[in-house]
Amino acid sequence: MQPGEGFTLAGSRGLMGRAMAEDAFEAVVAAHHAEIRRYLLRVTARASDADDLSQETFLRAFRAYRGLAPDANVRAWLFAIATNVGRNHFRAKGRRRRAYEAAALEMAADAPDRADGRLLAGETWDRMERVIGALPTKQRLAFIMRKMHELDYTEIGASLACSEESARAHVFQALRKVRRGLDGHLPVETESRS
Amino acid sequence: MSPLHPVCRVIEPDLLSVAAGEAGSTATARVQAHVADCGPCREELAQYRALEGMMQTLRRAPRGDDDATLARAQLASRLADLRSRMVSFGIFPSPLGRILIGRSEQGVALVQYLPASGGLPDHVRRLLGEDAVEDRAATEALQAELTEYLEGRRARLDWPLDLRRMRSGFQRRVLEATAALPYGAVTSYAGIAARIGSPAAVRPVAQALRWNPLPIVIPCHRVIGSSGALTGYAGRHVDLKQRLLAVEGVRAVPARDDFRIDRTAMYTMMTGDQEYCVPTCGSLPSQPLSKLTLFGTRERAEAAGFAPCTVCRPDLHPLPA
Repeated sequence: MQPGEGFTLAGSRGLMGRAMAEDAFEAVVAAHHAEIRRYLLRVTARASDADDLSQETFLRAFRAYRGLAPDANVRAWLFAIATNVGRNHFRAKGRRRRAYEAAALEMAADAPDRADGRLLAGETWDRMERVIGALPTKQRLAFIMRKMHELDYTEIGASLACSEESARAHVFQALRKVRRGLDGHLPVETESRS
Repeated sequence: MSPLHPVCRVIEPDLLSVAAGEAGSTATARVQAHVADCGPCREELAQYRALEGMMQTLRRAPRGDDDATLARAQLASRLADLRSRMVSFGIFPSPLGRILIGRSEQGVALVQYLPASGGLPDHVRRLLGEDAVEDRAATEALQAELTEYLEGRRARLDWPLDLRRMRSGFQRRVLEATAALPYGAVTSYAGIAARIGSPAAVRPVAQALRWNPLPIVIPCHRVIGSSGALTGYAGRHVDLKQRLLAVEGVRAVPARDDFRIDRTAMYTMMTGDQEYCVPTCGSLPSQPLSKLTLFGTRERAEAAGFAPCTVCRPDLHPLPA
């Protein structure tokens, strides 16, 4: 063997064999990456954080993928990983405060787009995002999972390592706080619909 | 503000569920009955419904920064990198004790001797990296070939190798030169140093071989001390070196804490020549081991592509067995 030729010799008999599992994971990325990034964007309010944390989520998922049961709910599983990644992120000192400030700014800038014809004052959206951003981490995560991504309480409980009841309690606590934070700003119809 | 009446407090969770559209028929009926008579709760329900409406808008509305294209591309490249580095390993019994074989997408990355029992030693864990996964099936074919090799039934392990665990370019050159030593041949650490063009780097060569991530496959057992002493192997397992060499037809006899190869009982050639000799041929007895390659048997020398010397004719005058 000549130096520089490397060691790779002919006849790699059966050494490669993981191609199928890898294709399956490609499909997981294709199906869920955009939504997981959107979730993390809502959680962190920063595109750069959402980029980094969504990558970390999928790298972790890839490492664990071969151990995942074939009938597992992949979307809920990814939300659980993303939630953990997000919580670790917020545990880092100081980040959370910065994220809130950024949230307020970015949301304010986005508000007219997102009013989506409902002609709500940008100030109301701004206020809503700030109230959501100020929720305790678990409540905020539970709230975003439920209200923005429509996960059920069992899935949210699995993400937050708590019971379904606790997950519901987190969401309801968040709802009360958001509702209180928006007192006088909600576009209430004059006649109750019920 | 929240309704304060105890009845309103009890019904409030149901009210939230109704606003969110999550309530069952019983809870819905209860809430409807309650808000029909309770103005504050009717208002509260309207407020929560308005909030749900806002959140629905928010859920559907595009965000300016909701562009996953860049993150997706970066993810693809990091996944490709992770995949190619990720090691699958199996742990097997072998004639030389417990052995771990690890392979990546690129090839065999790791062969390590393990203690008879217990978990993985720290240096093995470091070599495996945090992404390693135990997967016997992925390494079983390799294990079968390795066993044949260790039992002397196979002289080659034609495995694609993943050399990214090399510590340096120097180590890589040392291991490449070592990998070029034929089956059944030995030379000295100084001999490897000479082959890579760094004749003074004898100790660095020994260090590089000490950290060989692929012993047996990259045959560092074929590299010995200049005196003929086997010198060291796999920590304190010079006995394994002796056994590996014995399988290849190289005899080493016990000498104090070590084993020693008798140069005068080995077929000998100047490294780089094409002919092998008896050890007494010409100037060979006065040459340092670093310039020589030794074979235990003629068969091994010839299998490596060398011809008998036309002067000393080892084919006609073989060494005593």
